[in-house]
Amino acid sequence: MSGLESYINHTVSIITADGRNFIGTLKGFDQTINIIIEECHERVFSTTAGIEQIVLGLHIIRGDNIAVIGLIDDTIDSRLDLANIRGEPLGPVVH
Amino acid sequence: MLPLSLLKTAQSHPMLVELKNGETYNGHLVSCDSWMNINLRDVICTSKDGDRFWRMPECYIRGSTIKYLRIPDEVIDMVKEDAQAKSRNRAEMNKNRGGNAGQNQNQRGGRNGNRNNFGMRQGNQGQGQGNRPLAQGNKPRK
Repeated sequence: MSGLESYINHTVSIITADGRNFIGTLKGFDQTINIIIEECHERVFSTTAGIEQIVLGLHIIRGDNIAVIGLIDDTIDSRLDLANIRGEPLGPVVH
Repeated sequence: MLPLSLLKTAQSHPMLVELKNGETYNGHLVSCDSWMNINLRDVICTSKDGDRFWRMPECYIRGSTIKYLRIPDEVIDMVKEDAQAKSRNRAEMNKNRGGNAGQNQNQRGGRNGNRNNFGMRQGNQGQGQGNRPLAQGNKPRK
């Protein structure tokens, strides 16, 4: 079975093809990597201000649009001081 | 849980759909299919830059153009009974199949009337109904 099975009910970080970063709990996926994300947040990076977190809620993200799915360690993640992290936003995937 | 069963459960609920081109569609889900093609009713379409709006009574969106769908939080709790019961049944069916394969081992060759017996009901007769108790034992787990 796909390696995603072990990520179910864990916090994951999704990077989408348009360069956005979604964090949430992986609740399900299918063969085309469409995924269900619960309590989804978007993290918006900026070089001039801290990371802005936007609460979005329950999402289905279409597999076509997903570039990376990573497992998040909740204890490490909760230690991040998002307000003081600066970073350039990602660009979209270039084909 | 499968994304498409969640989407099916979300029928009649409001949702926001963002397309790959950046347009968003707000409306109530009428229907969807296994390609994620969807029908929305009472739709407000917003342009990519978010400063133009169109209202339309209904629209049809091709699944492949969708980037993501935002669904009300409570919908995920409604899918639970439905889809999980289904996957449990599937697990039981697989168990039954496995059990029968073992029991029918000695019956190949000859005319035992068991060929093409997809349900494998007959094959079990006289064998104490093989795996039946197992399947029933699992049912109450809800």
